Amino acid sequence: MIFVLEDTINGILMGSIYGLTALGLTIIFGVLKVINFAHGSMLMVGMYVAYWAVALTGLHPYMALFVVVPVMFFFGYYVQDLIIKPIFKAEKEVREPITVIIVTTGIWYILDNLTLLLFGPDYRILQDNPLRGKMLEAGQMLISVPKLWGFCAAVVTAASVYVFFQKTRMGRAIRATSLDREAASLMGINQYKVYNIAFGIGTASAGIAAITLVPFFNVYPTVGVLFDIKGFIIVVLGGLGSIWGAIVGGIIIGLIESVAPQFMTATWTEAIVYGLFLLVLFVKPSGLFGVKYDW
Amino acid sequence: MALTWGKTLSRVLFTTVVGAALVLTAPLPTMAADDVVRVGNIIPLSGPSASVGEQGKFAREMAVEEINASGGIKALGGAKLKMLYADSESKPEKGVAEAERLINSEKVHVLTGCWNSAVTYPTSAVAERYGVPFIVPVSVADKITEQGFKTVFRIAAKDSWWTRDQFSFLKDMQEEFGTEIKTVAFVYENGDWGKGFAEQWIKLAEKTGYKVVLDEPYPSTATDLSPVVQKIRRARPDVLLLVSNAADAILLTNTMAEYRVSPKAIIGSGGGHADPSFLTATGKNAQYVFDIVEWETDINKAGAKEANEKYKTKYGQNLTGEAVDAYLAMYVLADALERAGSLDREKIRIALSETRYTDGQGMIVGYDAVEFDQSGQNKYASPVMVQINDIGKGMERITVWPKNARRSGYEPVFPMP
Repeated sequence: MIFVLEDTINGILMGSIYGLTALGLTIIFGVLKVINFAHGSMLMVGMYVAYWAVALTGLHPYMALFVVVPVMFFFGYYVQDLIIKPIFKAEKEVREPITVIIVTTGIWYILDNLTLLLFGPDYRILQDNPLRGKMLEAGQMLISVPKLWGFCAAVVTAASVYVFFQKTRMGRAIRATSLDREAASLMGINQYKVYNIAFGIGTASAGIAAITLVPFFNVYPTVGVLFDIKGFIIVVLGGLGSIWGAIVGGIIIGLIESVAPQFMTATWTEAIVYGLFLLVLFVKPSGLFGVKYDW
Repeated sequence: MALTWGKTLSRVLFTTVVGAALVLTAPLPTMAADDVVRVGNIIPLSGPSASVGEQGKFAREMAVEEINASGGIKALGGAKLKMLYADSESKPEKGVAEAERLINSEKVHVLTGCWNSAVTYPTSAVAERYGVPFIVPVSVADKITEQGFKTVFRIAAKDSWWTRDQFSFLKDMQEEFGTEIKTVAFVYENGDWGKGFAEQWIKLAEKTGYKVVLDEPYPSTATDLSPVVQKIRRARPDVLLLVSNAADAILLTNTMAEYRVSPKAIIGSGGGHADPSFLTATGKNAQYVFDIVEWETDINKAGAKEANEKYKTKYGQNLTGEAVDAYLAMYVLADALERAGSLDREKIRIALSETRYTDGQGMIVGYDAVEFDQSGQNKYASPVMVQINDIGKGMERITVWPKNARRSGYEPVFPMP
C-alpha cells in the first residue's frame, strides 16, 4: 500500500514536469495553430543554457530562471519573427499552414546538430548543486526533492500563464487572435506581434521545464526528442491549446509510467500510454480539456 | 578467331606448366620466388564502423612492423609479412567480393577480418571454400565458429561467453571474499542486445542456483527510471546485472543512488557503462560498479603498458579491445608460420589449429593463452572485469578479473559498502 502511495506521488511529480515540457507546445498551437516540432529542441537549448548558467556560476539551479527565462523568451520571439513569420505571410490564405510545420522540423534538425557540433555527443549532468540527489524521507517513502520543485514550478508556471491570458490586455489580444486572427486584426491587434509573443512565452516555458529537469536529468544534444514524443501525446490527451489540459495530461502519463510498472514490466507502460492516446482520439478527439467545436 | 584462341590457350598452358615445374624444382628453404607472406585483411575502413576498422588496421600495422623488423618469419628464410587491406564498408556482400578478389587475384596466403559479425559470417564461407586460413580477431557472433568450418580461427571471446564470464566472475568473487550470493536481479534495455543477455542470464542463474528476484526490461528512451529503480529497491537483490545504453546507464546509476539502492554488486555489460561520459556524468554514484569489457589499458600483463605507449605515440589514441585482438592475431599468425615453415595454405591451417601461444610477444590480453578448439574458437578467450573506483586520481576503471590480469596492488571492493 505504501508502495502504491510512493509511486503515485512520484507519478504526479514527474507527470507535472512532463506537463510543463508540453505547456509551450500547447500554447504555441493554441495561438499559431501550428505544431511546433522544434519544441523538444527548444527544451534542449534551455537545458544547455540552464546547465552552463549553473555550472559556471555555481548558483542554485532555480536561480538560473533569471537567465534562462529571458534568454529563451527572446530566442523564441526571434525564431518566430525572423524564420517563421515570413512563411506565415507567404501562406496568409491557409488556415493551418503546413509549410510552417516543415520549417519547425528544419529548426529542430539545425538546433540538434548545431549543439552536437558545439558541445559534442557527451552526456552532461550538474555534479554539485543543492538539489542533486536530495530525497525527502517520510517513513519508508522516498520522495525526490528536485521533482517536488519541478511540480511547484509546473503549477506556478501554468497558473501564471493562465492568469496572464485571462487578465492582461496582451493576454486578451493573444486569446482574440487564437479565436479568430482576421477579426482580431480588424480590431487593431498586430497579429504577427502576438505570434512573436506567444512563441516567446511557449519557448520560455520550455526553458522553465529545462530548469526543472537539469538537477536530475542528463543534458545531451538529442535529449529533446524523448520529451517531444511525450509532449505530443500529452497535448492531444489534455486537449490541444489547453493550458491545464497539458498539466493534467502530463500527470496522467506520469501516473501510468510510475504506478503501472509495479504490476507489469516497464516496457508495457509504453503500450498503455499509446493505447490511451488512441482511445482518447477515438472517444474524444478534442482531448480531455479541448474545445469541441472548431474556431 | 578459333585458331588464335587455340594458340593463346596453348601458350597459357605451356607457361603454366613450365611455371609450375620451376616452382616445384625451386629450392624450398630460400623461397626465391616468394619471399613475402601475403595477408589479406578485410575490415571496415569507411562507413559506420570506420573508426574501429582503423584501430584494427593500426594495430595490425604495428605488429607487422615489429615482426618484420625483428627478421620476419625465420622458418621461411626471413620472409616478411605483406599486408593487403580491403574495405568491407561493413557490408556483407562487399566482404564476400573482397575475399574472392584477395584469394584469386592477390593470391593471399591468409585472411583476417572482418570485425562486423555480419560480414565475417558469409566471408568465412568463402575462405572455407578455397581452404584459406581465416583469422578472426574480434567478430563476436557465436555462429561464426559453429559452422563446422576448418579454416576459421577466432581469437576473441564469443558473444555467449560474456554472460558466462559475468557469472564466473561472481563465483570467483564469492570464493575470494567469502560473501555468499543468493539472489540476482536482471534489468536491461528491451532491444536485441539486452534481451539476448537476459535469456542467457536466466539459464546461467538456474544452473548456478541463484534465485532471480527481478527480470525487468525497460525502454532505453525512458525519461524516468525511478519506477524501475523502485522495483529493484523492493526486490532487494544481492547482485544486480545491467545492460544499458549510455543515457539510461547514467540515469539508472544516478537514480539508484538517490533511492539508496545498494546491492552487494552491480555489474554492467559494457555499452553505456563503458561510454566515456558515464564516469563524468555519474561521479561518485558509479563508485564500485563492475563492468565487463574486452580489454583495459591498465591490464597487468607483461608488455601491455609498453605496447599501449607505443600505439599512443604512433596513432594518438589508446589501444582498445579491437586493436589488441588484432595485434595479437598477427603474432599468432607469425607463430603459426614459423611452425608451418611453408606458404602452403593447408600447412598454415594445420599449424594454426595446433597453436598454443601463451607468453610470446603480443600476449597482452586479459586471458592467458591462445589455443583453438575443434571449431576454431580460442578456448581461453575471455573478457575482463573492471571496477569503477577512486584510488586518488578520480573515478577510473580498474581491471580486477581474471585475477592474473588484475592491476597490481588493487584490492576489489566486494561487497559494495
